[in-house]
Amino acid sequence: MNFDSRRIVIITFIITIGVIYGFRLFYMQVIDDTWTSEAQRIAEKRHQITPPRGVIFDRNGKMVVSNETYYNLMMQESEIANLDTVAFAKLIGWTPKEIKARFIEIREGEGTYYNKNQDRTTSNYQSVRSYPFLKELTLNEIARIAPHLDKFPGFREEPTSMRKYPYKSGANILGYIAEVNKEDVIDTAYHGYYRSGDNMGRSGIERYYEQTLRGQKGVKHIVTSALNNALESFAGGKYDTTALQSPAMKLGLDIELQAYGEKLMQNKKGCIVAIEPSTGEVLSMISAPSYDPNLLVGKRNIKQNYPTLLLDEAKPLFPRPLASEYPPGSIFKLVQSLIALQEGVIEVNTGFPCNKSLVGCHNHGYPSDIMKAVQFSCNPYYYQAVRKIIQHGKKKSAFADAEVGLNIWAEYMHSFGLGEKLPSDITGQRPGRIPDSKYYDKWYGHHQWGFSTIRSISIGQGEVTMTPLQMANLAAIIANKGWFYTPHFVKSVGNSGALPEFKKKNYTMVEAKYFPPIIEGMRRVVNESGGTALLARNSEIITCGKTGTVENPHGKDHSVFIAFAPLNNPKIAIAVFIENAGFGGTWSAPTASLMIEKYLNGTVKDLAKEKRIMDAHLSGL
Amino acid sequence: MRKENDITQDIDWPLLVCYLVLVTMGLTTVYSTAFDSEHSSLFDMAMPYGKQVMWIGVSLFLGLLVFLIDSSIYRKFALPIYGFTLALLVIVLFMPAINGAHAWLGFGGFGIQPAEFAKIGTALLLSSYLSTVNMHLQTVKTVMISNAIILVPVVLIMLQPDAGTVVVFTAFLFVLYREGLSYDPLILKITNAFPGIRFKQTWLGTHFIPIMFYVVFLCIITLLISKSTFGLFIPGLHIPGIVGIVIALAALGGIVYWLLTRMSSKREKKRAFIVVIIGFLLSTFMSLSVSFLFNGLAPHQKSRIELVLGMVEDKDGEDYNRFRAMAAVGSGGFAGKGYKGASLSSVRANHVPESETDFIFSPFAEEWGFIGSIVLVSVYLFMLFRIILIAERQRNRYYRIYAYSVGMILFYHFAINIGMNIGFVPVIGIPLPFFSYGGSSMMSFSILLFVLLKLDSQRRDMLY
Repeated sequence: MNFDSRRIVIITFIITIGVIYGFRLFYMQVIDDTWTSEAQRIAEKRHQITPPRGVIFDRNGKMVVSNETYYNLMMQESEIANLDTVAFAKLIGWTPKEIKARFIEIREGEGTYYNKNQDRTTSNYQSVRSYPFLKELTLNEIARIAPHLDKFPGFREEPTSMRKYPYKSGANILGYIAEVNKEDVIDTAYHGYYRSGDNMGRSGIERYYEQTLRGQKGVKHIVTSALNNALESFAGGKYDTTALQSPAMKLGLDIELQAYGEKLMQNKKGCIVAIEPSTGEVLSMISAPSYDPNLLVGKRNIKQNYPTLLLDEAKPLFPRPLASEYPPGSIFKLVQSLIALQEGVIEVNTGFPCNKSLVGCHNHGYPSDIMKAVQFSCNPYYYQAVRKIIQHGKKKSAFADAEVGLNIWAEYMHSFGLGEKLPSDITGQRPGRIPDSKYYDKWYGHHQWGFSTIRSISIGQGEVTMTPLQMANLAAIIANKGWFYTPHFVKSVGNSGALPEFKKKNYTMVEAKYFPPIIEGMRRVVNESGGTALLARNSEIITCGKTGTVENPHGKDHSVFIAFAPLNNPKIAIAVFIENAGFGGTWSAPTASLMIEKYLNGTVKDLAKEKRIMDAHLSGL
Repeated sequence: MRKENDITQDIDWPLLVCYLVLVTMGLTTVYSTAFDSEHSSLFDMAMPYGKQVMWIGVSLFLGLLVFLIDSSIYRKFALPIYGFTLALLVIVLFMPAINGAHAWLGFGGFGIQPAEFAKIGTALLLSSYLSTVNMHLQTVKTVMISNAIILVPVVLIMLQPDAGTVVVFTAFLFVLYREGLSYDPLILKITNAFPGIRFKQTWLGTHFIPIMFYVVFLCIITLLISKSTFGLFIPGLHIPGIVGIVIALAALGGIVYWLLTRMSSKREKKRAFIVVIIGFLLSTFMSLSVSFLFNGLAPHQKSRIELVLGMVEDKDGEDYNRFRAMAAVGSGGFAGKGYKGASLSSVRANHVPESETDFIFSPFAEEWGFIGSIVLVSVYLFMLFRIILIAERQRNRYYRIYAYSVGMILFYHFAINIGMNIGFVPVIGIPLPFFSYGGSSMMSFSILLFVLLKLDSQRRDMLY
């Protein structure tokens, strides 16, 4: 028998294997790119570098928010060997049980990130990576631990940067930052930017300017070994980016004025808002009571202090200047005057008798013109003037007429930035309320109401409400004679100059020519006998203001005062609102005058006045 | 006329060049894979490449010794050599286990694996024995003895245990096949038990060994890739792996038919066509049914098979090594990542374990891409064909059987080693001949090949 043909079988075999392998290699290496991405998954690591947050200066170049170095105690599980839990617990001042719990917490929680490509969250905890075991240790704390770390392999220190507030003021403006939570990490709105352990602005400027202040994360692409050792930078660092800290931010805030205002407002409830009329920059915004912003720095502080602040009955976390909606009281008469003049229902020289049967009033001279009406803050005057605005006589029916008149009036009010949120970097604003016909239709029914129904709005009571921010802006509008820049915090970022969204002048519907008489009235309020705010008088600075006393059904009346100064070339517009302090001229007016003096002169001369305000306890009703 | 003292006379230069090319490629790959900038010298004995240089030196020296010995000696001393390698296999069982196997015999700082050398002894004795048997492999006695020669070392190696080398020993079955081993007596007993059937000869019995090999290989490939999908440049196209297998089978049928018609007479051409068609249909049927049966298995049975084949889905779990090696090979692309550019499979990256030994194809393919891979595959194929050509030109059966033994062992190592790097074969830890780092494999394969070269060079004066 001849078996030579069997060699053909064997040769066929070898050729077959060779051809199959050749095609397989061609498919794997040339056609299919699954393996390339798989190789990237295995060997390439993206290492993110978070830059320190941008620092913040006030208008005079004083550092308001800076960064301070803290330390994280990092642990890498793969390097931990024979951990003496008891000794380690003693070192960091924990119980061994807590240490075990922390290990579990890290294993389950760390390394969670949002995977953009797969649209899901992934946890890639790896024992060969290091994670913070203890976070945000101060230099003192780490100095106690660090010398002993050589006994605990797998643990090491790593510096990290946290916020510091050199002035203990402006907490309500600056806001605070806190570590992102799992929801933020997976929130698609953030495009997977945040990873566990990152910080994020939670309120105030920190939150509104989060995208600016956080800077740009740097990314290093590294080729790593199976043990996660970095071998080399990927593609020679071609795709790497450096971490960029945000350029310094400059605020319109005057931190000294802010601190001074907070001192004036101690033991009181209320707020002060000061604006530079020519720019719309907020000079100070005091919310009383307030708190030291350093209380909310770092996870441990937040955990300890946030609940206390939140549960405090005085509500220090509540941003009163933007979120408290108060009836404006008599300061509202300023806008009413301007609208009445513009609408032509009164002239500058129009006088109305102080008819106390219409509405209550105090004793004063005859308001023979608009200046005197402002000076005396005559309630019946405004009752009669505003009735003319509302009941214009354009329709036969008084009800239909009031509907038209009120809506025109409301339109004027909106042009003063009232009854709506200002489009600003000041977050958390409430709109206040300027009622229109729809509002009253809901209450009383269509054509079921006229001026007499809604008369209390004429003197800034009833349904009308304003936030202190809007009150200060009103003062700025009058100082500018009819226009305003949207009030805002940030002056510039880096060298960019004023932000474009705050460069637009907003004009009210009242022409500039109608403002001087009102301003004259405001001057008299402070500077002439018979004025309601003589306590705000200052021999060097001519201040124009208007007091208000807001009726409070729940307790003592609120004291309010708005002003701007100096009369020629106004530099500051201010609103002071003190809850339950009674008459506007008694507390709010002198407080405002101190703020104005402090801002314009740098110091306050009348120390007795200052002491009187500082020592006053007005929060206890 | 022959010169008496010229040992280079009648050397098969193409085979020797193949050997040197592979050794060089292997050494450069070991160097780049294990490269450490602090030990950058090729001759640094602290590094695998330094040792590999030494092993290559030792191997070449052994090769020279092999050439100095007359070829008749190998035949005369086949049994003692075989006995010696068996003795080593017994001794090694009493050595301390390394990685769970008693495979290493230590000499000072170095160790050898007797299993590698057992191939030489077995090849020599098998050739010697079969060439003395006048009859073909048809009697029970010769089949028993020849199988025993293979089985004794296999049992000893199983005891180590070293499954990879055991698999390699089945290569000798191909040698027996080539020499006429037929399973027909067994097959005919079954088929002729049916009334009315009186076969004298069956294809299955005659070609039992290659058919079994083919069946096993096809089943494993089907299981490994039928579940995965592939696309051909067209995004969104996902062709099931099983379709790919059927297409590959059709292509294979074409190649086989082409080869058969080349090598057979006109009368046989018609038969060849029928054989190929039947083969294709049977293969397709088998592949489909394996895939179907596997999917019909109970989950625990399924996972058991998956575990054996290393098919577990978790890419970083049980099947870690195979997936990592495939990622390294596949990411090499067309032209590779460049010399020393193996970002996955270099030793310092360590994503592919054993990358300087059993998985050395993966750093090579990663560095040199498809171009390098196809060159390497071609060199091996050329070497195998050359060995078969050498085998077939011998006038002496002893020489031919030995040549086939060498050829089939190399073929097994080549097919299994590269197969596991490209995901066609489960992970079986055997080295790539002449290429992988390691003294035992380098020395044993070299001796195996040099003995073949020596025998071939003396083919003219062996006329008895």
